Amino acid sequence: MTDGANAATGAGVGTLAALLVFIAASVWLGTLAQRAVEKGSFLKGYFLGNRGLGAWALALTATVQSGGTFMGFPSYVYSYGWVVALWIAAYMVVPLTGFGVLGKRLAQLSRRMGAITVPDMFRARFESPAAGLMASLLILFFMSFMMVAQFKAGAIVMQVSWPGSGALTLDEAGPTGGDYYYRLGLAIFALTVVGYTLIGGFLAAVWTDLFQSVMMLIGVMILLPLTLLAAGGLPAASRNLAREVAVQPPVEGDATRLENSLPVEARMRALDAALRQYAARNEGGLPDDLDGFVSGGIAYYGRGSAIDPPGSTRRTLLALTAKEADGWQTALYSNGVIRSGKLGPPGELLTGPGPAGFHPLGMAFSFFFVWVFAGMGSPAGMVRVMACKDTRTIRRSIFLLACYNMLIYISLIVICICGRTLLPDLQKSDEIIPRLALMSTGDLWGGSFIGGLILAAPFGAVMATVSSYLVVIASGLVRDVYQRFINPAASETTIRWLSYFFMVLVGTIAVVACLWPPDYLQSVVVFSGTCGAATFVVPALMAVYWRRATAAGAMAAMGAGVAAVLSLYSVSWLQGQFKTYPLFGIDPIVWGLAASLIVGIIASLASQPPSRQLVSKLFDAPSPGR
Amino acid sequence: MSSPAPDPVFKSARREAIVVLLIWASALVYTIGFCYQFGYHRPVEQIGFILGFPDWVFWGILAPWAVCTLLSGWFAFGFMRDEDLGADGQAEDAAEETGEVQR
Repeated sequence: MTDGANAATGAGVGTLAALLVFIAASVWLGTLAQRAVEKGSFLKGYFLGNRGLGAWALALTATVQSGGTFMGFPSYVYSYGWVVALWIAAYMVVPLTGFGVLGKRLAQLSRRMGAITVPDMFRARFESPAAGLMASLLILFFMSFMMVAQFKAGAIVMQVSWPGSGALTLDEAGPTGGDYYYRLGLAIFALTVVGYTLIGGFLAAVWTDLFQSVMMLIGVMILLPLTLLAAGGLPAASRNLAREVAVQPPVEGDATRLENSLPVEARMRALDAALRQYAARNEGGLPDDLDGFVSGGIAYYGRGSAIDPPGSTRRTLLALTAKEADGWQTALYSNGVIRSGKLGPPGELLTGPGPAGFHPLGMAFSFFFVWVFAGMGSPAGMVRVMACKDTRTIRRSIFLLACYNMLIYISLIVICICGRTLLPDLQKSDEIIPRLALMSTGDLWGGSFIGGLILAAPFGAVMATVSSYLVVIASGLVRDVYQRFINPAASETTIRWLSYFFMVLVGTIAVVACLWPPDYLQSVVVFSGTCGAATFVVPALMAVYWRRATAAGAMAAMGAGVAAVLSLYSVSWLQGQFKTYPLFGIDPIVWGLAASLIVGIIASLASQPPSRQLVSKLFDAPSPGR
Repeated sequence: MSSPAPDPVFKSARREAIVVLLIWASALVYTIGFCYQFGYHRPVEQIGFILGFPDWVFWGILAPWAVCTLLSGWFAFGFMRDEDLGADGQAEDAAEETGEVQR
């Protein structure tokens, strides 16, 4: 493997080239989309693609999670091992739940009511401008958070891919608003995304999303055989993992504590030297026990293993000191590496709940809600279902997405498990995919560019997310606020220019916010998805399946869901952190959905039933005369 | 006039939604139940490997994932009904002209 500095520079050139390809392709798709959009009326074309989405576009763009989530996943597998397979497992049903529960009815009702946006749908279904306005405002609220976070992520990718900038991947802690490359990256990112979204509207967002999803799959499929080969197969990698200990991420005060470990580390270094001498005399073999090497207090795992040369990336655990009062331990590996810190027991990466109690039972349960309902309740996703061509498209999308999810997620798990044994000592676990890409493609023809394409995938994911949100936010402002409440008689030209204006405005605000970038990027992304699910899933279900549902019920359901999520988040916020607060070990999304469901039903039953005429129009077979 | 028949799309969509939610619930119960029983707090020496996957991952996640993918195929090509989603157009174009949704 090349050394760190060379690898980083190589990454820069390859990634930059790949990023340019992404940008060029996206702008080209934007202009293609513009031509398609020009055919129908402006609003339906620009914000809904004339309801013409095909199976591929629907399958790979409506429920795939945002760039932020996708970037975090490989890092989790690397740090926490096999239990992350359970963390992501709900994706096995996401194709069915994403399209099979709401899809057909949402597509039908939005047509019957002429709805272009999700608030449009609520407004028409419940005959209530207030319900529509409430939905619009809530969407604007969550999406604004998400937009700023995504802009930051996009800027960071640009920043680190600049040749010579030295970094290799997304690092939330490192870059700050003051950095020149960060600002440059932010400017290029913003101009590109706002530019092509403005040109092509909804279809531009969908097509670039589709493009990046396919690129991501290609990248993963290239990486899979290469890493498997390098790791000597999955069985070898898994067995190796049983001999790894996970180190808890460093916290404040560790530097001082590390100094206290120096005597222990010196003892381990002496043991390493002694074992090396023994191995040199015994053809590389290691002793059966440590009798005669150390005086005790050290657990030995080297029986049957071999010593590895210092600096080698291949290694097995040889020895582990007993836990001290504060939980600290020191580990010695066969390649001479010594690690001190709060260590898990060996083999923790193979079992649940994983290192540091990563995924307890309550969270395993919760994530079957998180992935399923965040996908179902995302306004950007719902709009895409409304825009699908016909039911045949929905059916084919279900199967396409099922195959795509299985391929990409299982492959990514395998890749990162191999990565853990190939590159066991990464300081930043976020770097696992870029590092593996560089390491395994370095010797191939055009390897740096292939590596670059793999690195560029998260950039594409971020671009796609931002552009779809730009469309949702702009359509919300134009359709649900301006056209409904300010100027119902606005001409098409006014609407068109106003849409452009809002997109530029939203982009500018996000850029300004990103000059003082928010922390906790991943948390913001999860927060936004959780709010979306808790707010919109229950009202949408009520809207399409329950005759007795009323405007009051829908509004109460939205309010209760978002209130439950916000209050749980504010508990942890008051404790000084912005992150999820699992009440009784269960994630806020489950509490939010439950509150939304209960309050929605009670409020509906307590309010005046909806008019028979409206219900009949939406729930009964159209009479032959109509 | 007696109460008219329910909209066919409403009927079939509801039937399909119930089936999907049942599949979701079964996947949840099986996957979490199996993984918690055989994958949590288990001594590492007892864990076997199938094709390099820990046994609990293979039977608790990979196997149901494959079943769900097959079920998705069955749902898409053998269960879900194709239906006319209805005309769009009139209501919407009217809305665009006047800013009003058809009532």
